[in-house]
Amino acid sequence: MARKKSDRRRQLERAAMYPLDWLEERSGLVGGVRYFLFRKVPGDTNWFHTLGSATLTAFLVQLVTGVILAMYYKPDPKSAHASIDHITHEVTLGWLVRGMHKWGASVFIILMFMHMGRVFLFGAYKYPRELNWIIGVLLLATGLFEGLTGYLLPFDQTAYWATVVAININGTAPFVGPFLASLLRGGAEIGPDTLARFYSLHMLLIPGALLGLITLHLYLVIRLGVTSPPWSSEAAGSGRPPEPPPAQAGLVRPRPRAAVKGRPTE
Amino acid sequence: MSALDDRRRRFTQYKEDVKKRGKPFYPYAMFHDTVMSLVVVCVIFLLAVVWRYGWFGDALGPLNGPKADPGTTSFVPRPDWYFYFLFYLLRIFKWPESVILATVGIPTILLIILLALPFVDLRTERRLGRRPVAVVAAVLVVISMGVLTYKGATAKEAIAAEVKAAVPSWAKKEGFAGNKEALAGANLFAVSACTNCHTYLGTGSSNLGAPDLSAEGAKGKGIQFQISHLKCPSCVNSGSPMPAFADLGQDNLKKLATFLEASKGGK
Repeated sequence: MARKKSDRRRQLERAAMYPLDWLEERSGLVGGVRYFLFRKVPGDTNWFHTLGSATLTAFLVQLVTGVILAMYYKPDPKSAHASIDHITHEVTLGWLVRGMHKWGASVFIILMFMHMGRVFLFGAYKYPRELNWIIGVLLLATGLFEGLTGYLLPFDQTAYWATVVAININGTAPFVGPFLASLLRGGAEIGPDTLARFYSLHMLLIPGALLGLITLHLYLVIRLGVTSPPWSSEAAGSGRPPEPPPAQAGLVRPRPRAAVKGRPTE
Repeated sequence: MSALDDRRRRFTQYKEDVKKRGKPFYPYAMFHDTVMSLVVVCVIFLLAVVWRYGWFGDALGPLNGPKADPGTTSFVPRPDWYFYFLFYLLRIFKWPESVILATVGIPTILLIILLALPFVDLRTERRLGRRPVAVVAAVLVVISMGVLTYKGATAKEAIAAEVKAAVPSWAKKEGFAGNKEALAGANLFAVSACTNCHTYLGTGSSNLGAPDLSAEGAKGKGIQFQISHLKCPSCVNSGSPMPAFADLGQDNLKKLATFLEASKGGK
């Protein structure tokens, strides 16, 4: 009886695993995900290490809410403002989607700065992670540019005049300034083309760039590993921890992982 | 052993340590990440709710501002809050010749410093207690960005009534007190929100790289030029972001032009 059951179970397991095995044989993706999930990280990673994934979460919120907003928004100066009103007051839960997009942008930018601060204070930009720091700086600049282009889209007074300032600031740059400014404006004056340009940049070019940079960023994190805190005994850079003192008879020495709260004992 | 070899050795050591004593990403680190992500989504959700229902005295601002009107004469050019620190730099560098420092110079320098950081700081030391320069730099950056953001957030646009109160002192300093047409122009200048972008004898704020007008008359451009410039700034000065003021009417424009031409820099 028992043998029969286990036969059946084996059969069931094989059937359940079949799609995964199929995928793995043809792509290696299952192994990739398994590596991602079960790769070792330093034993003393802590809440500070969640700022990066928190930033990613804020970005994903922007992605989802942004796609929904694009279904209702009309990027032309005559109807942009009215379509925003429509989203805010008439579309079911439109206020929530727009509100989360509007405030998610701020949260995303705050988290980028906090994540950068953490990486700086932990010295995590040092060898061999220099390239990932550079990608992070580019992400910050691109993220800020995403905020700048999105700010015009509600097409209210503040947005319009802030964009006039922003474009003019671009225009003061030496050599490329005037060219950049007229590229952003879509002509000599701020007109209907300007809004369409900002819309296209805001929802095609810049998010695409952000996605690409984020992918590279994560690839390097996984490849190089998570930096342990600077006070860690496992820190790359703090040198080899001193050899543990010989165990005293009758005392059970704590395992390293249990000791991470205080100063490392070994 | 060269410095690079030393860094390589440390990294190999780190990889071995993590392999031997680390814990798997799932479920340990992933648990932290998941909790934090939920917190982030909840915070964004709450911000949206507070904004929608105008709680805490409309702390998060109105749902929607008035529609953009390129022909308006009074406006508040105000970026999103995370640009306030740059926005306030514009006010510090009031003189037209130095505006480029605030708009392009400082941000470019900051970006270059950030990009160069891992190549400048080559020490392997990561403990904060032994990185005094890094700690001081971090504290200075946080303080200065905080102060600039706060100043940018609380910066008030010039209020017409307050600017108008300064007109008699302008007349005295610039010496046009006897010129009725210029006086009327000065009052117009004060209430037409010109000082939102231009400065005049220290009043107003510099925006859009708009020049200080205290000595506009000393350039000898003439009343006719001033009138046609006010009517359509970008026709006279191609690329000028200044809005057109043609709808003020010929009389008012003439007063403004007279006032500008009477402004020789003060004493």
